[in-house]
Amino acid sequence: MDMKVAFYTFYILMWPALTLGVLFYICRAVWRDVKEAKKNNKGLV
Amino acid sequence: MDLELYQFSTTTVLLMLAAFYGGTYLLTLLIRKKKESTDAFMVANERIGIGLASSSMTATWIWAASFYAAATSGYTYGVSGPLHYGLWGALMILFIYPFGQRFRKLAPKAHTLGELIHARHGSSSQLILAISNVLGSTISLMVNFTAAGALVSVLSPLSFQTGVLIAGFGVLAYTFWSGFRAAVFTDFVQLVALMAIAVVIIPAVLFAMGGPSAFVTGLEGLTLEQQSFFSKTAFLEQGAPFFFAVLAYAIGNQTISQRLFAVDKEHIKSTFITATLGYGAIVIGLGMIGLLALSAGIQPMDGDTNNLIPQVVSTYLSPIMIALFFILVIGSLSSTADSDLCALSAIIMADVYGKNIAKDNPDPKRMLLIGRVTMIVATMVGIIFASFALDILVMLVFVGALWGAIVFPVIASVFWDKVTNAAFTWSVVIAMIMFCLVRFELIPLTGAIAYFFEFISSIGAAVVIGLMAFAFLGIRLGVIFAIVAGVASMYYTADFLRDYTVLMASLTAFGVSTIVCTVMSLMSKAPRFDFRTISEEVQSYDNQ
Repeated sequence: MDMKVAFYTFYILMWPALTLGVLFYICRAVWRDVKEAKKNNKGLV
Repeated sequence: MDLELYQFSTTTVLLMLAAFYGGTYLLTLLIRKKKESTDAFMVANERIGIGLASSSMTATWIWAASFYAAATSGYTYGVSGPLHYGLWGALMILFIYPFGQRFRKLAPKAHTLGELIHARHGSSSQLILAISNVLGSTISLMVNFTAAGALVSVLSPLSFQTGVLIAGFGVLAYTFWSGFRAAVFTDFVQLVALMAIAVVIIPAVLFAMGGPSAFVTGLEGLTLEQQSFFSKTAFLEQGAPFFFAVLAYAIGNQTISQRLFAVDKEHIKSTFITATLGYGAIVIGLGMIGLLALSAGIQPMDGDTNNLIPQVVSTYLSPIMIALFFILVIGSLSSTADSDLCALSAIIMADVYGKNIAKDNPDPKRMLLIGRVTMIVATMVGIIFASFALDILVMLVFVGALWGAIVFPVIASVFWDKVTNAAFTWSVVIAMIMFCLVRFELIPLTGAIAYFFEFISSIGAAVVIGLMAFAFLGIRLGVIFAIVAGVASMYYTADFLRDYTVLMASLTAFGVSTIVCTVMSLMSKAPRFDFRTISEEVQSYDNQ
Protein backbone atom coordinates (compact mmCIF):
# COMPACT_ATOMS: atom_id res chain seq x y z
CA MET A 1 0.00 0.00 0.00
CA ASP A 2 1.20 3.49 -0.86
CA MET A 3 2.72 5.19 2.22
CA LYS A 4 0.57 8.27 1.78
CA VAL A 5 -2.61 6.19 1.60
CA ALA A 6 -1.52 4.20 4.67
CA PHE A 7 -0.80 7.41 6.58
CA TYR A 8 -4.18 8.99 5.84
CA THR A 9 -5.99 5.71 6.57
CA PHE A 10 -4.32 5.73 9.98
CA TYR A 11 -5.07 9.44 10.46
CA ILE A 12 -8.80 8.92 9.88
CA LEU A 13 -9.26 5.56 11.59
CA MET A 14 -7.18 6.26 14.71
CA TRP A 15 -10.06 8.32 16.12
CA PRO A 16 -12.71 5.58 16.09
CA ALA A 17 -10.04 3.20 17.46
CA LEU A 18 -9.32 5.59 20.33
CA THR A 19 -13.05 6.02 20.88
CA LEU A 20 -13.38 2.24 21.20
CA GLY A 21 -10.58 2.17 23.77
CA VAL A 22 -12.17 4.89 25.89
CA LEU A 23 -15.57 3.18 25.57
CA PHE A 24 -14.07 -0.04 26.92
CA TYR A 25 -12.38 1.82 29.80
CA ILE A 26 -15.56 3.67 30.80
CA CYS A 27 -17.70 0.51 30.68
CA ARG A 28 -15.16 -1.34 32.84
CA ALA A 29 -15.08 1.54 35.33
CA VAL A 30 -18.88 1.66 35.58
CA TRP A 31 -18.99 -2.11 36.05
CA ARG A 32 -16.56 -1.72 38.99
CA ASP A 33 -18.68 1.15 40.38
CA VAL A 34 -21.77 -1.08 40.22
CA LYS A 35 -20.01 -3.90 42.08
CA GLU A 36 -18.68 -1.45 44.68
CA ALA A 37 -22.13 0.08 45.19
CA LYS A 38 -23.70 -3.37 45.64
CA LYS A 39 -20.98 -4.35 48.12
CA ASN A 40 -21.60 -1.22 50.18
CA ASN A 41 -25.38 -1.49 49.77
CA LYS A 42 -25.57 2.00 48.25
CA GLY A 43 -27.08 3.37 45.05
CA LEU A 44 -24.87 3.77 41.98
CA VAL A 45 -25.74 7.44 41.71
CA MET B 1 -21.48 17.24 -6.41
CA ASP B 2 -25.00 17.91 -5.03
CA LEU B 3 -26.58 15.24 -2.83
CA GLU B 4 -30.13 14.69 -1.62
CA LEU B 5 -31.08 13.65 1.91
CA TYR B 6 -32.70 10.33 2.78
CA GLN B 7 -36.23 10.66 4.17
CA PHE B 8 -37.67 8.50 6.95
CA SER B 9 -41.45 8.16 7.17
CA THR B 10 -43.25 10.10 9.89
CA THR B 11 -44.05 6.86 11.72
CA THR B 12 -40.41 5.69 11.69
CA VAL B 13 -39.08 8.96 13.11
CA LEU B 14 -41.79 9.13 15.78
CA LEU B 15 -41.03 5.52 16.77
CA MET B 16 -37.29 6.24 17.00
CA LEU B 17 -37.90 9.34 19.14
CA ALA B 18 -40.40 7.47 21.33
CA ALA B 19 -37.92 4.60 21.77
CA PHE B 20 -35.10 7.01 22.67
CA TYR B 21 -36.94 9.31 25.07
CA GLY B 22 -39.25 6.57 26.40
CA GLY B 23 -36.29 4.27 27.03
CA THR B 24 -34.33 7.05 28.72
CA TYR B 25 -37.30 7.92 30.92
CA LEU B 26 -37.73 4.27 31.95
CA LEU B 27 -34.02 4.13 32.84
CA THR B 28 -34.43 6.97 35.29
CA LEU B 29 -37.12 4.99 37.11
CA LEU B 30 -34.33 2.62 38.20
CA ILE B 31 -32.73 5.36 40.33
CA ARG B 32 -35.80 7.41 41.26
CA LYS B 33 -36.38 8.15 44.93
CA LYS B 34 -39.71 9.35 46.27
CA LYS B 35 -37.91 12.02 48.31
CA GLU B 36 -34.87 13.59 46.66
CA SER B 37 -32.50 15.73 48.73
CA THR B 38 -31.14 19.01 47.39
CA ASP B 39 -27.57 17.65 47.45
CA ALA B 40 -28.60 14.61 45.41
CA PHE B 41 -30.62 16.77 43.01
CA MET B 42 -27.69 19.15 42.38
CA VAL B 43 -24.48 17.11 42.78
CA ALA B 44 -25.49 13.49 43.53
CA ASN B 45 -24.04 13.76 47.07
CA GLU B 46 -20.48 14.40 45.78
CA ARG B 47 -19.61 10.73 45.35
CA ILE B 48 -19.98 9.82 41.67
CA GLY B 49 -17.49 7.14 40.56
CA ILE B 50 -14.99 7.57 37.74
CA GLY B 51 -17.02 5.61 35.14
CA LEU B 52 -20.24 7.59 35.45
CA ALA B 53 -18.43 10.89 36.02
CA SER B 54 -16.18 10.61 32.96
CA SER B 55 -19.01 9.42 30.73
CA SER B 56 -21.21 12.24 31.97
CA MET B 57 -18.45 14.81 31.43
CA THR B 58 -17.84 13.53 27.89
CA ALA B 59 -21.52 13.30 26.98
CA THR B 60 -22.19 16.77 28.33
CA TRP B 61 -19.31 18.38 26.47
CA ILE B 62 -20.36 16.77 23.18
CA TRP B 63 -23.37 18.60 21.85
CA ALA B 64 -24.95 18.54 18.43
CA ALA B 65 -22.82 21.53 17.42
CA SER B 66 -19.66 19.52 18.11
CA PHE B 67 -20.22 17.21 15.14
CA TYR B 68 -21.46 19.85 12.77
CA ALA B 69 -18.78 22.40 13.68
CA ALA B 70 -15.94 19.83 13.58
CA ALA B 71 -17.13 18.66 10.15
CA THR B 72 -17.45 22.29 9.01
CA SER B 73 -13.88 22.87 10.19
CA GLY B 74 -12.66 19.80 8.27
CA TYR B 75 -14.56 20.90 5.17
CA THR B 76 -13.29 24.48 5.35
CA TYR B 77 -9.68 24.06 6.44
CA GLY B 78 -8.83 20.54 5.21
CA VAL B 79 -6.72 17.95 7.02
CA SER B 80 -5.94 20.11 10.07
CA GLY B 81 -9.52 21.38 10.44
CA PRO B 82 -10.97 18.63 12.69
CA LEU B 83 -7.89 18.87 14.95
CA HIS B 84 -8.30 22.62 15.33
CA TYR B 85 -11.86 22.09 16.54
CA GLY B 86 -11.66 18.88 18.58
CA LEU B 87 -8.22 19.13 20.14
CA TRP B 88 -8.78 22.50 21.78
CA GLY B 89 -12.27 21.50 22.86
CA ALA B 90 -10.76 18.44 24.54
CA LEU B 91 -8.12 20.55 26.27
CA MET B 92 -10.90 22.65 27.80
CA ILE B 93 -11.78 19.58 29.86
CA LEU B 94 -8.18 18.76 30.71
CA PHE B 95 -7.08 22.20 31.87
CA ILE B 96 -9.90 22.65 34.36
CA TYR B 97 -9.04 19.74 36.63
CA PRO B 98 -6.05 21.28 38.50
CA PHE B 99 -8.23 24.29 39.27
CA GLY B 100 -11.11 21.96 40.04
CA GLN B 101 -9.04 20.22 42.68
CA ARG B 102 -8.47 23.63 44.28
CA PHE B 103 -12.23 24.42 44.14
CA ARG B 104 -13.02 21.10 45.85
CA LYS B 105 -10.37 21.69 48.51
CA LEU B 106 -11.73 25.13 49.34
CA ALA B 107 -15.43 24.21 49.17
CA PRO B 108 -15.97 20.44 49.39
CA LYS B 109 -19.73 20.87 49.87
CA ALA B 110 -20.34 23.34 47.02
CA HIS B 111 -22.95 22.83 44.32
CA THR B 112 -21.92 25.70 42.06
CA LEU B 113 -18.75 27.71 41.55
CA GLY B 114 -20.89 30.75 42.34
CA GLU B 115 -21.32 29.58 45.95
CA LEU B 116 -17.55 29.50 46.35
CA ILE B 117 -17.23 32.98 44.85
CA HIS B 118 -20.07 34.19 47.11
CA ALA B 119 -18.14 32.99 50.17
CA ARG B 120 -14.97 34.59 48.80
CA HIS B 121 -16.38 37.94 47.66
CA GLY B 122 -20.15 38.36 48.12
CA SER B 123 -23.17 38.71 45.91
CA SER B 124 -22.05 40.91 43.00
CA SER B 125 -19.17 38.63 41.96
CA GLN B 126 -21.29 35.55 42.51
CA LEU B 127 -24.13 36.91 40.41
CA ILE B 128 -21.77 37.82 37.55
CA LEU B 129 -20.74 34.19 37.46
CA ALA B 130 -24.35 33.01 37.78
CA ILE B 131 -25.59 35.30 35.00
CA SER B 132 -22.82 34.18 32.64
CA ASN B 133 -23.74 30.57 33.36
CA VAL B 134 -27.44 31.18 32.83
CA LEU B 135 -26.64 32.85 29.51
CA GLY B 136 -24.35 30.02 28.42
CA SER B 137 -26.72 27.23 29.38
CA THR B 138 -29.75 28.96 27.84
CA ILE B 139 -27.87 29.40 24.55
CA SER B 140 -26.78 25.79 24.75
CA LEU B 141 -30.37 24.63 25.31
CA MET B 142 -31.53 26.69 22.36
CA VAL B 143 -28.80 25.36 20.08
CA ASN B 144 -29.51 21.75 21.03
CA PHE B 145 -33.25 22.06 20.53
CA THR B 146 -32.59 23.82 17.21
CA ALA B 147 -30.37 20.93 16.15
CA ALA B 148 -33.14 18.47 17.03
CA GLY B 149 -35.66 20.44 14.96
CA ALA B 150 -33.26 20.71 12.03
CA LEU B 151 -32.45 16.98 12.09
CA VAL B 152 -36.10 15.91 12.26
CA SER B 153 -37.12 18.33 9.50
CA VAL B 154 -34.37 17.29 7.05
CA LEU B 155 -34.70 13.53 7.57
CA SER B 156 -38.51 13.26 7.77
CA PRO B 157 -41.71 15.00 6.68
CA LEU B 158 -42.16 16.30 10.25
CA SER B 159 -41.77 20.04 10.84
CA PHE B 160 -38.85 21.80 12.55
CA GLN B 161 -41.12 22.85 15.42
CA THR B 162 -42.21 19.25 16.01
CA GLY B 163 -38.59 18.16 16.43
CA VAL B 164 -37.90 21.05 18.82
CA LEU B 165 -40.98 20.25 20.93
CA ILE B 166 -40.28 16.51 21.15
CA ALA B 167 -36.64 17.07 22.17
CA GLY B 168 -37.61 19.73 24.72
CA PHE B 169 -40.33 17.73 26.43
CA GLY B 170 -38.38 14.47 26.10
CA VAL B 171 -35.36 15.86 27.94
CA LEU B 172 -37.50 17.60 30.56
CA ALA B 173 -39.49 14.41 31.25
CA TYR B 174 -36.52 12.27 32.24
CA THR B 175 -34.56 15.02 34.06
CA PHE B 176 -37.41 16.65 35.98
CA TRP B 177 -37.69 14.45 39.08
CA SER B 178 -34.15 13.30 39.94
CA GLY B 179 -32.22 16.23 38.41
CA PHE B 180 -28.46 15.75 38.26
CA ARG B 181 -28.69 12.08 39.28
CA ALA B 182 -30.90 11.35 36.28
CA ALA B 183 -28.63 13.37 33.97
CA VAL B 184 -25.48 11.51 35.05
CA PHE B 185 -27.11 8.07 34.90
CA THR B 186 -28.63 8.59 31.44
CA ASP B 187 -25.45 10.27 30.17
CA PHE B 188 -23.63 6.95 30.58
CA VAL B 189 -26.15 5.04 28.46
CA GLN B 190 -26.35 7.84 25.89
CA LEU B 191 -22.55 8.03 25.66
CA VAL B 192 -22.16 4.28 25.19
CA ALA B 193 -24.63 4.42 22.29
CA LEU B 194 -22.97 7.54 20.90
CA MET B 195 -19.46 6.04 21.02
CA ALA B 196 -20.52 2.70 19.60
CA ILE B 197 -22.25 4.42 16.68
CA ALA B 198 -19.27 6.76 16.07
CA VAL B 199 -16.92 3.75 16.00
CA VAL B 200 -19.03 2.20 13.23
CA ILE B 201 -20.02 5.27 11.22
CA ILE B 202 -16.57 6.84 10.63
CA PRO B 203 -14.99 3.81 8.88
CA ALA B 204 -18.31 3.11 7.13
CA VAL B 205 -18.32 6.58 5.55
CA LEU B 206 -14.62 6.32 4.59
CA PHE B 207 -15.09 3.05 2.72
CA ALA B 208 -18.52 3.93 1.29
CA MET B 209 -16.95 7.01 -0.32
CA GLY B 210 -14.40 4.93 -2.21
CA GLY B 211 -11.90 4.10 0.53
CA PRO B 212 -8.54 5.65 1.46
CA SER B 213 -7.19 5.66 -2.13
CA ALA B 214 -10.11 7.72 -3.42
CA PHE B 215 -9.72 10.07 -0.44
CA VAL B 216 -6.00 10.64 -1.11
CA THR B 217 -6.70 11.21 -4.81
CA GLY B 218 -9.32 13.81 -3.85
CA LEU B 219 -6.86 15.54 -1.51
CA GLU B 220 -4.62 16.41 -4.44
CA GLY B 221 -7.32 18.74 -5.75
CA LEU B 222 -7.34 20.84 -2.58
CA THR B 223 -5.41 24.04 -1.88
CA LEU B 224 -1.96 23.74 -0.31
CA GLU B 225 -3.34 25.21 2.94
CA GLN B 226 -6.07 22.54 3.03
CA GLN B 227 -3.50 19.80 2.45
CA SER B 228 -1.24 21.03 5.25
CA PHE B 229 -1.34 19.88 8.87
CA PHE B 230 0.17 23.26 9.77
CA SER B 231 -2.31 25.53 8.03
CA LYS B 232 -1.85 29.10 9.24
CA THR B 233 -5.40 30.03 8.20
CA ALA B 234 -6.88 27.09 10.12
CA PHE B 235 -4.91 28.06 13.22
CA LEU B 236 -5.74 31.75 13.13
CA GLU B 237 -9.40 31.46 12.17
CA GLN B 238 -10.40 28.26 13.99
CA GLY B 239 -7.71 26.92 16.32
CA ALA B 240 -6.44 30.06 18.03
CA PRO B 241 -9.83 31.48 19.13
CA PHE B 242 -10.64 28.05 20.56
CA PHE B 243 -7.22 27.64 22.16
CA PHE B 244 -7.55 30.95 23.98
CA ALA B 245 -11.12 30.08 24.96
CA VAL B 246 -9.97 26.82 26.61
CA LEU B 247 -9.99 28.18 30.15
CA ALA B 248 -12.95 30.47 29.51
CA TYR B 249 -15.28 27.63 28.56
CA ALA B 250 -14.11 25.47 31.43
CA ILE B 251 -14.30 28.13 34.15
CA GLY B 252 -17.48 29.75 32.91
CA ASN B 253 -19.56 26.63 32.55
CA GLN B 254 -21.65 25.31 35.43
CA THR B 255 -22.11 21.96 33.62
CA ILE B 256 -18.37 21.37 34.19
CA SER B 257 -18.15 22.74 37.73
CA GLN B 258 -21.23 20.72 38.70
CA ARG B 259 -19.36 17.54 37.74
CA LEU B 260 -16.23 18.80 39.50
CA PHE B 261 -18.26 19.05 42.69
CA ALA B 262 -20.08 15.76 42.08
CA VAL B 263 -17.25 13.34 41.33
CA ASP B 264 -15.57 11.49 44.19
CA LYS B 265 -12.68 13.87 44.98
CA GLU B 266 -10.11 11.06 44.64
CA HIS B 267 -11.13 10.62 41.00
CA ILE B 268 -11.14 14.20 39.69
CA LYS B 269 -7.90 13.81 37.72
CA SER B 270 -8.65 10.43 36.11
CA THR B 271 -12.21 11.49 35.31
CA PHE B 272 -11.15 14.58 33.44
CA ILE B 273 -8.29 12.85 31.58
CA THR B 274 -10.69 10.11 30.41
CA ALA B 275 -13.24 12.69 29.31
CA THR B 276 -10.54 14.62 27.44
CA LEU B 277 -9.58 11.52 25.44
CA GLY B 278 -13.20 10.53 24.85
CA TYR B 279 -14.27 13.96 23.66
CA GLY B 280 -11.24 14.42 21.41
CA ALA B 281 -11.57 11.01 19.77
CA ILE B 282 -15.30 11.29 19.03
CA VAL B 283 -15.36 14.89 17.84
CA ILE B 284 -12.19 14.80 15.75
CA GLY B 285 -13.32 11.45 14.30
CA LEU B 286 -16.71 12.81 13.25
CA GLY B 287 -15.01 15.96 11.96
CA MET B 288 -13.23 13.68 9.49
CA ILE B 289 -16.57 13.30 7.69
CA GLY B 290 -16.29 16.98 6.71
CA LEU B 291 -12.78 16.35 5.40
CA LEU B 292 -14.00 13.33 3.41
CA ALA B 293 -16.80 15.48 1.96
CA LEU B 294 -14.25 18.12 0.93
CA SER B 295 -12.03 15.53 -0.72
CA ALA B 296 -15.02 14.08 -2.61
CA GLY B 297 -16.06 17.54 -3.88
CA ILE B 298 -19.45 17.51 -2.13
CA GLN B 299 -21.30 20.84 -2.00
CA PRO B 300 -23.24 21.46 1.24
CA MET B 301 -26.99 21.55 0.71
CA ASP B 302 -28.35 25.14 0.57
CA GLY B 303 -24.74 26.28 1.15
CA ASP B 304 -25.09 25.38 4.84
CA THR B 305 -22.11 23.36 6.12
CA ASN B 306 -24.23 22.14 9.06
CA ASN B 307 -25.92 19.89 6.47
CA LEU B 308 -22.65 18.15 5.56
CA ILE B 309 -22.78 15.19 7.96
CA PRO B 310 -26.50 14.42 7.44
CA GLN B 311 -25.91 14.75 3.68
CA VAL B 312 -22.92 12.38 3.57
CA VAL B 313 -24.50 9.83 5.92
CA SER B 314 -27.83 9.81 4.12
CA THR B 315 -26.25 9.51 0.68
CA TYR B 316 -23.56 6.91 1.26
CA LEU B 317 -24.89 4.73 4.07
CA SER B 318 -27.80 2.31 4.44
CA PRO B 319 -31.09 3.33 6.13
CA ILE B 320 -30.07 1.40 9.26
CA MET B 321 -26.85 3.43 9.53
CA ILE B 322 -28.82 6.62 8.92
CA ALA B 323 -31.12 5.62 11.79
CA LEU B 324 -28.04 5.06 14.00
CA PHE B 325 -26.75 8.49 13.01
CA PHE B 326 -30.14 9.96 13.92
CA ILE B 327 -29.90 8.39 17.39
CA LEU B 328 -26.28 9.59 17.72
CA VAL B 329 -27.27 13.22 17.17
CA ILE B 330 -30.40 13.00 19.35
CA GLY B 331 -28.33 11.35 22.10
CA SER B 332 -25.59 13.97 21.97
CA LEU B 333 -27.94 16.94 22.05
CA SER B 334 -30.13 15.41 24.77
CA SER B 335 -27.19 14.61 27.06
CA THR B 336 -26.05 18.23 26.83
CA ALA B 337 -29.55 19.65 27.17
CA ASP B 338 -30.25 17.63 30.34
CA SER B 339 -26.97 18.92 31.81
CA ASP B 340 -27.97 22.48 30.96
CA LEU B 341 -31.30 22.00 32.72
CA CYS B 342 -29.46 20.69 35.79
CA ALA B 343 -26.95 23.56 35.65
CA LEU B 344 -29.68 26.18 35.39
CA SER B 345 -31.71 24.64 38.20
CA ALA B 346 -28.62 24.45 40.48
CA ILE B 347 -27.77 28.11 39.80
CA ILE B 348 -31.29 29.28 40.61
CA MET B 349 -31.53 26.94 43.63
CA ALA B 350 -28.13 27.68 45.19
CA ASP B 351 -26.89 31.00 43.81
CA VAL B 352 -30.18 32.88 43.60
CA TYR B 353 -32.49 31.29 46.19
CA GLY B 354 -30.03 29.73 48.66
CA LYS B 355 -27.50 32.55 48.89
CA ASN B 356 -29.40 35.71 47.96
CA ILE B 357 -33.10 35.20 48.78
CA ALA B 358 -33.05 32.75 51.70
CA LYS B 359 -29.68 34.14 52.90
CA ASP B 360 -28.15 30.71 53.62
CA ASN B 361 -31.24 29.49 55.47
CA PRO B 362 -33.36 27.92 52.73
CA ASP B 363 -36.22 25.48 53.02
CA PRO B 364 -34.93 22.31 51.22
CA LYS B 365 -38.43 21.37 49.99
CA ARG B 366 -38.99 24.82 48.51
CA MET B 367 -35.50 24.71 47.06
CA LEU B 368 -36.27 21.47 45.20
CA LEU B 369 -39.53 22.94 43.94
CA ILE B 370 -37.64 25.99 42.66
CA GLY B 371 -35.18 23.69 40.88
CA ARG B 372 -37.93 21.79 39.12
CA VAL B 373 -39.86 24.92 38.17
CA THR B 374 -36.60 26.34 36.77
CA MET B 375 -36.30 23.28 34.55
CA ILE B 376 -39.80 23.83 33.17
CA VAL B 377 -39.19 27.54 32.54
CA ALA B 378 -35.77 26.88 30.97
CA THR B 379 -37.25 24.27 28.63
CA MET B 380 -39.96 26.69 27.53
CA VAL B 381 -37.40 29.45 26.95
CA GLY B 382 -35.15 27.05 25.01
CA ILE B 383 -38.04 25.92 22.83
CA ILE B 384 -39.16 29.49 22.10
CA PHE B 385 -35.63 30.73 21.36
CA ALA B 386 -34.93 27.73 19.14
CA SER B 387 -37.00 29.35 16.42
CA PHE B 388 -34.18 31.92 15.93
CA ALA B 389 -31.60 30.28 13.66
CA LEU B 390 -28.00 31.34 14.55
CA ASP B 391 -24.67 30.24 13.14
CA ILE B 392 -23.42 27.61 15.59
CA LEU B 393 -19.68 28.09 15.09
CA VAL B 394 -19.75 31.88 15.45
CA MET B 395 -21.88 31.59 18.59
CA LEU B 396 -19.46 29.17 20.22
CA VAL B 397 -16.56 31.56 19.76
CA PHE B 398 -18.67 34.48 21.01
CA VAL B 399 -19.77 32.76 24.22
CA GLY B 400 -16.21 31.57 24.85
CA ALA B 401 -14.92 35.11 24.58
CA LEU B 402 -17.67 36.34 26.89
CA TRP B 403 -16.53 33.91 29.56
CA GLY B 404 -12.94 35.03 28.99
CA ALA B 405 -13.58 38.12 31.08
CA ILE B 406 -14.25 35.95 34.13
CA VAL B 407 -11.27 33.58 33.95
CA PHE B 408 -8.52 35.56 35.65
CA PRO B 409 -10.70 37.07 38.41
CA VAL B 410 -12.07 33.61 39.32
CA ILE B 411 -8.70 31.84 39.33
CA ALA B 412 -6.95 34.71 41.12
CA SER B 413 -9.73 34.76 43.72
CA VAL B 414 -9.11 31.15 44.76
CA PHE B 415 -5.31 31.45 44.99
CA TRP B 416 -4.55 35.09 45.90
CA ASP B 417 -5.82 36.51 49.18
CA LYS B 418 -5.52 40.15 48.00
CA VAL B 419 -8.29 40.02 45.36
CA THR B 420 -11.33 42.06 46.40
CA ASN B 421 -14.98 41.98 45.43
CA ALA B 422 -14.65 45.40 43.75
CA ALA B 423 -11.60 44.23 41.79
CA PHE B 424 -13.51 41.14 40.62
CA THR B 425 -16.64 43.02 39.64
CA TRP B 426 -15.07 46.01 37.90
CA SER B 427 -12.53 43.90 36.05
CA VAL B 428 -15.32 41.85 34.48
CA VAL B 429 -17.49 44.88 33.66
CA ILE B 430 -14.64 46.84 32.03
CA ALA B 431 -13.38 43.76 30.18
CA MET B 432 -16.87 43.16 28.76
CA ILE B 433 -17.11 46.76 27.53
CA MET B 434 -13.69 46.55 25.85
CA PHE B 435 -14.54 43.13 24.41
CA CYS B 436 -17.70 44.53 22.81
CA LEU B 437 -15.80 47.52 21.37
CA VAL B 438 -13.47 45.14 19.52
CA ARG B 439 -15.80 42.24 18.74
CA PHE B 440 -18.46 44.43 17.15
CA GLU B 441 -15.92 46.96 15.81
CA LEU B 442 -17.69 49.84 17.54
CA ILE B 443 -14.49 51.88 17.15
CA PRO B 444 -12.17 51.94 14.10
CA LEU B 445 -9.46 49.32 14.63
CA THR B 446 -6.74 51.32 12.90
CA GLY B 447 -3.63 53.27 13.86
CA ALA B 448 -2.87 53.81 17.55
CA ILE B 449 -6.19 52.25 18.67
CA ALA B 450 -5.35 49.02 16.87
CA TYR B 451 -1.84 48.98 18.34
CA PHE B 452 -3.36 49.53 21.81
CA PHE B 453 -5.69 46.56 21.50
CA GLU B 454 -2.92 44.40 20.03
CA PHE B 455 -0.85 45.23 23.12
CA ILE B 456 -3.75 44.38 25.46
CA SER B 457 -4.33 41.17 23.48
CA SER B 458 -0.70 40.18 23.98
CA ILE B 459 -1.21 40.53 27.71
CA GLY B 460 -4.34 38.39 27.33
CA ALA B 461 -2.32 35.71 25.50
CA ALA B 462 0.33 35.85 28.22
CA VAL B 463 -2.34 35.38 30.89
CA VAL B 464 -3.87 32.36 29.15
CA ILE B 465 -0.53 30.61 28.58
CA GLY B 466 0.63 31.55 32.06
CA LEU B 467 -2.51 30.20 33.75
CA MET B 468 -2.33 26.96 31.76
CA ALA B 469 1.32 26.47 32.77
CA PHE B 470 0.51 27.47 36.35
CA ALA B 471 -2.21 24.80 36.49
CA PHE B 472 0.27 21.98 35.92
CA LEU B 473 3.71 23.42 36.69
CA GLY B 474 3.23 25.90 39.53
CA ILE B 475 3.57 29.65 39.98
CA ARG B 476 7.24 30.15 38.96
CA LEU B 477 7.01 28.35 35.63
CA GLY B 478 3.58 29.90 35.11
CA VAL B 479 5.10 33.39 35.32
CA ILE B 480 8.01 32.43 33.04
CA PHE B 481 5.63 30.99 30.44
CA ALA B 482 3.48 34.13 30.68
CA ILE B 483 6.44 36.47 30.11
CA VAL B 484 7.76 34.47 27.15
CA ALA B 485 4.28 34.20 25.62
CA GLY B 486 3.62 37.91 26.15
CA VAL B 487 6.87 39.02 24.51
CA ALA B 488 6.43 36.60 21.60
CA SER B 489 2.83 37.68 21.18
CA MET B 490 3.74 41.39 21.10
CA TYR B 491 6.29 40.67 18.38
CA TYR B 492 3.93 38.62 16.22
CA THR B 493 0.61 40.40 16.73
CA ALA B 494 1.70 44.04 16.20
CA ASP B 495 0.12 45.40 13.00
CA PHE B 496 -1.39 41.96 12.33
CA LEU B 497 -3.99 40.83 14.88
CA ARG B 498 -6.36 43.69 13.97
CA ASP B 499 -7.45 41.63 10.94
CA TYR B 500 -8.69 38.82 13.25
CA THR B 501 -11.23 40.65 15.41
CA VAL B 502 -12.81 37.52 16.96
CA LEU B 503 -9.45 36.42 18.33
CA MET B 504 -8.43 39.94 19.34
CA ALA B 505 -11.73 40.49 21.18
CA SER B 506 -11.31 37.27 23.16
CA LEU B 507 -7.76 38.15 24.14
CA THR B 508 -8.78 41.70 25.00
CA ALA B 509 -11.29 40.32 27.51
CA PHE B 510 -8.56 38.24 29.17
CA GLY B 511 -6.04 41.09 29.15
CA VAL B 512 -8.31 43.86 30.44
CA SER B 513 -9.82 41.79 33.24
CA THR B 514 -6.35 40.72 34.37
CA ILE B 515 -4.94 44.26 34.39
CA VAL B 516 -7.95 45.80 36.18
CA CYS B 517 -8.26 42.96 38.71
CA THR B 518 -4.52 42.98 39.51
CA VAL B 519 -4.17 46.77 39.81
CA MET B 520 -7.30 47.19 41.96
CA SER B 521 -6.29 44.29 44.23
CA LEU B 522 -2.77 45.64 44.72
CA MET B 523 -4.13 49.12 45.52
CA SER B 524 -6.68 47.78 47.99
CA LYS B 525 -6.07 48.30 51.70
CA ALA B 526 -8.60 45.60 52.66
CA PRO B 527 -7.36 42.86 55.02
CA ARG B 528 -6.12 39.66 53.39
CA PHE B 529 -8.73 36.95 52.95
CA ASP B 530 -8.68 33.76 55.04
CA PHE B 531 -9.47 30.88 52.62
CA ARG B 532 -10.42 28.57 55.51
CA THR B 533 -13.68 30.48 55.95
CA ILE B 534 -15.01 29.28 52.57
CA SER B 535 -15.63 25.69 53.64
CA GLU B 536 -17.44 26.93 56.76
CA GLU B 537 -19.80 29.07 54.70
CA VAL B 538 -20.47 26.68 51.80
CA GLN B 539 -22.46 23.81 53.30
CA SER B 540 -25.17 21.30 52.45
CA TYR B 541 -28.69 22.81 52.41
CA ASP B 542 -30.25 19.56 53.63
CA ASN B 543 -28.61 19.81 57.06
CA GLN B 544 -29.87 23.31 57.78
